[in-house]
Amino acid sequence: MIDFDERYAEKKSFFNRLIIVYGFFGLAFSFFLYQTYSLQVSEYIEYETAAIENKTKEILVQPTRGIIYDRSGKIIVNNVPTYDLIIKPSQIKNIDSFLADISLIIELEPHEFDFVRENFDIKARYNRELIVKKNLSEEQIAKFEVRSYKFPNAFIDVRYSRYNNYPELFSHALGYVGGVSNDELADILKNQELRQVETIFKYSNGFQIGKIGLEKTYDHILRGEFGKKVYEVDARGKLLKEKEFIKPINGENLYTTLDINAQKVAYTKMNNRRGAVVAIEIDTGSIVSYVSTPSFSTNAISNGISSKAFNALINDNNKPFFDRASKGRYSPASTIKPAIGLFGIENNIIDWNFSIDDPGYFILPEDQRVYRGWRKGGHGKVNLNKAMIVSSNTFFFSLAYKSNIYELIEHLSDFGFGKKVCADCFNPDLGLLPSPEWKLNNLNFGWFKGDTVNMGVGQGYLSATPLQLAFYATILANKGSAKELSFIFDKNQIENLSIQTSNIDDLDWNRLHASMIGVIDSPIGTAKSLQKLITHTIAAKSGTVELVSTETKEDYKIIRENEGNRDHAIIIAFGPMPNPKYAVSVVIENGESGGSVAGPVAVAVLNSLID
Amino acid sequence: MKKKLKFKNFSIYFDQYLFITITLLSVMGLIFLYSASQGDLNTVIKQSIFVGFGLFLMFILSQPDPDFYKIFSGLFIILAIILMLATMVLGKEVNGAKRWLNFGFFTLQTSEIIKIALPIFLASYLYNKPLPISLKHTFISLVVICFTFYLVYLQPDLGTGLVVFMAGIYILFLAGLSWRFIFTSIGCIILSMPFLWNNFLQPFQRQRILTFIDPSSDPFGSSWNITQSKIAIGSGGMSGKGYQEGSQAHLNFLPEAETDFIFSVIAEEFGFFGICILLSFFFFILLRCIYLAYNARDRFCRLTIGGLSLVFASTLFINLGMVVGIIPVVGMPMPFISKGGSSLLSFYIAFGIIISMATHKKLMQK
Repeated sequence: MIDFDERYAEKKSFFNRLIIVYGFFGLAFSFFLYQTYSLQVSEYIEYETAAIENKTKEILVQPTRGIIYDRSGKIIVNNVPTYDLIIKPSQIKNIDSFLADISLIIELEPHEFDFVRENFDIKARYNRELIVKKNLSEEQIAKFEVRSYKFPNAFIDVRYSRYNNYPELFSHALGYVGGVSNDELADILKNQELRQVETIFKYSNGFQIGKIGLEKTYDHILRGEFGKKVYEVDARGKLLKEKEFIKPINGENLYTTLDINAQKVAYTKMNNRRGAVVAIEIDTGSIVSYVSTPSFSTNAISNGISSKAFNALINDNNKPFFDRASKGRYSPASTIKPAIGLFGIENNIIDWNFSIDDPGYFILPEDQRVYRGWRKGGHGKVNLNKAMIVSSNTFFFSLAYKSNIYELIEHLSDFGFGKKVCADCFNPDLGLLPSPEWKLNNLNFGWFKGDTVNMGVGQGYLSATPLQLAFYATILANKGSAKELSFIFDKNQIENLSIQTSNIDDLDWNRLHASMIGVIDSPIGTAKSLQKLITHTIAAKSGTVELVSTETKEDYKIIRENEGNRDHAIIIAFGPMPNPKYAVSVVIENGESGGSVAGPVAVAVLNSLID
Repeated sequence: MKKKLKFKNFSIYFDQYLFITITLLSVMGLIFLYSASQGDLNTVIKQSIFVGFGLFLMFILSQPDPDFYKIFSGLFIILAIILMLATMVLGKEVNGAKRWLNFGFFTLQTSEIIKIALPIFLASYLYNKPLPISLKHTFISLVVICFTFYLVYLQPDLGTGLVVFMAGIYILFLAGLSWRFIFTSIGCIILSMPFLWNNFLQPFQRQRILTFIDPSSDPFGSSWNITQSKIAIGSGGMSGKGYQEGSQAHLNFLPEAETDFIFSVIAEEFGFFGICILLSFFFFILLRCIYLAYNARDRFCRLTIGGLSLVFASTLFINLGMVVGIIPVVGMPMPFISKGGSSLLSFYIAFGIIISMATHKKLMQK
């Protein structure tokens, strides 16, 4: 036994030590209390927000895309609601057994099987939905719904298909829509100040965005704004009750200046030949017809196409996807001659009385090189008027020879060559307006006088798109000025472009128009074959784009055995004269004759527009 | 005060302060549990049975003289160790841990018993040893402590294991462990940290500690619990969202809302004011225990009261520290509040023994 003193010491030691331990606990509890105070008082707002965010979930409600109309108010592109069978590929382990099960209830076509199998993996990886079958009948819906418990990863919902009433007619002008990518959706949501968490994977499904054409250019107007439903959710994400519903703002309709009739005429007349037609309303710069052929069905692209069909389109030698109207580069050939003629007048190199003798060729004084005309023996004595009508190369060779290349480039640039001429075309090509600097930088060669001479007849390096040619025709028709081209009626944002002249007056323009009328009306005109087709007076200038340079007609006969070597047919035209309302450009690849091959298409389009 | 009510030849030992406070805490616990279990009456009824039984047990265990515990402490710990070993063989496995022994009507978490048996045993071993405790007795005590800790650790249950370990160390320290030994061991422990880290901790335990140090290293694993717990507590604010109005608990964001994280539910629904009131009850209990320890009749009683009350304080602090994120998640219930059988009962037992130690007097002593 320990004695009293020791017991007293023991008790004191015990108590001291107990206090030490409780002292530590006191410190620890103070720290705990401080932490709780920080959480509940100092950082209360932060955690309150976090708790609210935890229990709310926003589900985006998709707007309906705007409808696209033609100039007379006819619907071109519409949204068609269909009830579709949709699956969640990321939740399905074995797609083959799934398809086997589901096809017992809803019969699937072989191409639908293929489509699902082809797209299953990628949709699963990106956690997207996949439409198995579109446009279910009421009977199919009922059959599925009673058995839906067997298919937790499949559902039937309404989806809007983008439906073009004229699927091949407007494919390049209007373009098509497609599924939105995560980046695109992120941008859209950011612009609308919507939360992006979760939404990207789950609600981008079925939302369509313009990929090319006007669907792309005006996507921000057409697509509208997302609405949202705010739900209270539990930790598993189960929706408990709806707390708020902000309605989506549907996309605005787009009223285009396109004319269905003119478009149909152009498309039909092109008859699947490779080429393009662009027609412009001169006063407003409105594009009324925009066709590139051959074409493809936008409906197939927008709403799901099998990779087989898609590859067939991609690998087609005629390149149906290629928008020739704004991306095809063609030499303007003889259609450039009105601009060259005007250049001669403007710079006092020639006047309307000036004439030369056309022996059928031009010899470049510097190196004695021969530049040939299209007609052996030439056209005799030609002034500007006759040179236009018969398309004398010699006249324009010699005129170009006397021109300053820099002044000539500036003059052609005023007509839209090498420039952007359309305000809302999708990604147009600018063609090429060559300059000595361009040639040095790109071809490592200096500019020869011969290059300027070639430019005088629209051959050589100079190239333009059918869209630019249509703009050029519009400026010619409108005597030196034109609105930048566009597809919409609101011209507030549209620039006025004009050519800079000091020496060209109304009389000059009238004479130029007269010479272009003569191209069709004159018995010696290069497009006189069109006389029987026109219903109004039409001014035109045809051209033939030489792809392979030949000395004689016999040589050409040999090379034309290969269709790809044949000349391109090209024409610009406007009418009705003397007060032209519409201008048109037509290019037909390997069509050989501007006047008799491209001409009838141009005339048909103008006739349909004017009448 | 300590009451000794005389009924003819029969005395009743009873501490009204502890009894009332613990009863109030238990009733509040039931109310909180009703909310935390989202109004599951079954859970609450089952818990009330435990509470009722626990209070009864506490009362019964207050009656024997401390000498009873002193004499039988060796038997208790041997019994507890046997149960632990039985658990290792016969225990039912839940989530890879064998902690429970099934008795048909009741599954016993055996480590809860050793948590109480160990400090009583050590107190009975050390109460008559001269100060400071000699190296030999220190060594023997440490062997017992480490052995029992290891049994719990094997289950594995690091949280309870640490409480058992601490319980032993508390007794040893309070009994007068020499300071020189204390400082030497602290030095050794610091030096052997890396070894313990690599060889003693399970990968998931290391992960928890790492996550605790850097929560961003494990955004959806164990720190999810802490994040949700902090959101629950923080969003409660000063006065709380109101009873049964806590969205974190009721929409199932809070994990283990009925057990380990019940404090977060209380904090969410009753706010900072509410938890201050709740904690003042615990604070009162601990103060009362210090007072009782100071006035205990002998060294054995002092050590037992001090040791058991510190086990209580440790459990409470580990639970609170865990839910607010100042210590790693180890899985520790809140005494008298969290849903549970063994862990709940163990504290009624501990306080029964504390009251016995505090209320029995030996006239000849002091």
